[in-house]
Amino acid sequence: MEAGSFLAALTPLNLLLALAGVAAGTLIGSIPGLTATMAVAVLVPITFTMEPASALILLGAIYTGAIYGGAYAAILLNTPGTPSAIATTFDGYPMAQRGEGDLAVALACFASVAGGLVGALALLFLAPPLSRVALAFGPVEYFWLAIFGLSLIAALSSGALWKGLAGGAFGLILSSVGVAEVSADIRLTFGSQTLIGGFGVVGALIGLYCIPVLIDLVAVPERHLKIADEIDTMPIGRAARLAWGSKVNLARSSVIGTLVGILPGAGGSVAGLVAYSEAKRNAGPEQRFGQGEPDGIIATESANNATVGGGFIPTLVLGIPGTPPDAVILGALLVQGVRTGPALFESGGGSIAYTFIYGLLIATVLMLPVGLLVGRYAYRSIVTIPKAMLVPGVAFMTVIGTFAIHNSVSDVTLMILLGVFGWVVGRFGFSASPIVLGLILGPIAEQGFVQGWIIGSAMEDLTGMFFGRPLSLAIIAFTLLSLCWPAYAVRRRTRSKARARAGAGMAPP
Amino acid sequence: MSERDVRADVGAPDGAGGGNASRRGSVLVSLFFIVAGIVTLYDTTTYTDVDSKVFPRAAAILLIVAAAISLITDRVRGAREEGFGQGDWWRRALLIASMLACCLAMPLTGFLPAAAIAFTGALVAAMHPRWSVRHAWLYGISGAVLMAGFYALFRYGLHVPLP
Repeated sequence: MEAGSFLAALTPLNLLLALAGVAAGTLIGSIPGLTATMAVAVLVPITFTMEPASALILLGAIYTGAIYGGAYAAILLNTPGTPSAIATTFDGYPMAQRGEGDLAVALACFASVAGGLVGALALLFLAPPLSRVALAFGPVEYFWLAIFGLSLIAALSSGALWKGLAGGAFGLILSSVGVAEVSADIRLTFGSQTLIGGFGVVGALIGLYCIPVLIDLVAVPERHLKIADEIDTMPIGRAARLAWGSKVNLARSSVIGTLVGILPGAGGSVAGLVAYSEAKRNAGPEQRFGQGEPDGIIATESANNATVGGGFIPTLVLGIPGTPPDAVILGALLVQGVRTGPALFESGGGSIAYTFIYGLLIATVLMLPVGLLVGRYAYRSIVTIPKAMLVPGVAFMTVIGTFAIHNSVSDVTLMILLGVFGWVVGRFGFSASPIVLGLILGPIAEQGFVQGWIIGSAMEDLTGMFFGRPLSLAIIAFTLLSLCWPAYAVRRRTRSKARARAGAGMAPP
Repeated sequence: MSERDVRADVGAPDGAGGGNASRRGSVLVSLFFIVAGIVTLYDTTTYTDVDSKVFPRAAAILLIVAAAISLITDRVRGAREEGFGQGDWWRRALLIASMLACCLAMPLTGFLPAAAIAFTGALVAAMHPRWSVRHAWLYGISGAVLMAGFYALFRYGLHVPLP
């Protein structure tokens, strides 16, 4: 059956659909405001008249392409095209600013393909056992996972920890604006109807990352991105070598992405942040994360694309969507008559499921030529376009992209105001990234905390609920390690420098 | 004339190394965060369900403590941020004003005319070389094509109900 499914995925029509899906997804994902969920959702109706396997291959290809496409805007405009690419901005944009944008885009493509393949292979071979991991995660584990994500603030704010924490706390408060997650209290709206819906993550991302860049760009006549003094004719070869040289980071981040993807509701943004944090923790003393370190891009992009395959594991095995696009694809599966669940791989739907998984693998491989080609074109366009066209073009896209999320002018206004706020505070050392972290992880942390609190109170064992479960303890240990590591790394560097100086002083002249 | 005045005259970034304006700005942002924390704490007193209070209160306390420590460290060590930096203020103001004007105009004029306001404002703000008739035509037509293309994509391709 599996060989038959593989051959079914290789029909010319399915290959063409995979190619078209990856290309369309990459382009849609590269536009700030258009998320992978939106890309999949708007194209679902097209698939209703197709054969089930072809329809699923097209949707999977769009999804994986859109996650990768988010890297373009993150690297070239400092604006995550999709929330999954938040951490790509940390090192991608500094690389582009110093004239290595084409290398960064190529690196993102290699990392995305590698991560996507790991996620899809995990889906093919390990789906049933890994889906049990998703079931082991309760609200308390989600709470600790969000705290683990927030601990990245310490790593992002070296030298300005308190400013980072203040930004993170402000982001948490912004995330609680509107109707409360668990109860129905209206919070921090001050009577405004506009704020009842709260701050949308995508609009906030566009505002906090893109508007400050536009404000800085218009003020000075210099070019947007530096053009390298020596044109690198083979950035693809260099990117491949860099990716191969970071194979441990690549493998670790892909596994992290797969595991986080399995957890319903966590998604690519959390995966990218966790993988980035781990890559930074394991970095050598010469690596400068946040200043254009290629390993930062490798970690984020491999992790966020690995969530595609990882997210399908609970979707197909348990019928629980791992990420929002999975929920849309789950709906498409049901329309096609495929019933998900533990028996899927044994029942008649199994052949469709396997064809879909092989199709996802093929689409991920096809992402390499498509991504490298589109990436190179995107880089050249952004570098050569005059600033007088780039700025209004991007400003227009931020408006239309933000409006499209909820068809709301208020969202656009909030996005602009948040962007101006982000620019002002950013000029005084309060970076936007901790605010974004708080905004994204706040709802996950609050829901997990309140649900854990309610369950723990009912069981009359709050301490055991929060600190007595093995998975929780493991995440707490990682959180403490992540918090303490920057201070330890600085101390270790200082000591080794002091030893080197002492050694040089003792050496004979 | 003080060193700061000289730096301002030549357009040098204010605050590198702890300029007064930068320190003042940093302190003002910290104070804003402290006030935001206090307002949040006050707002939580109006919630009926205890579950709604826990999280914003914890975040507000963290915000107040972190901003206060940041304020003290800035006062003691001096802020090392770059301040508002170089560049033309009117261009920044025009960009922001045109984007906000687009939001105000959208319900009245529809999407495309409102977006044209933002586009034109951003174009004028970002245009540093001297204007020429060729530039005006080229950028005007390119902008119209770009806006019409994206409008068609969103409205008819993605079925976004643009006004």
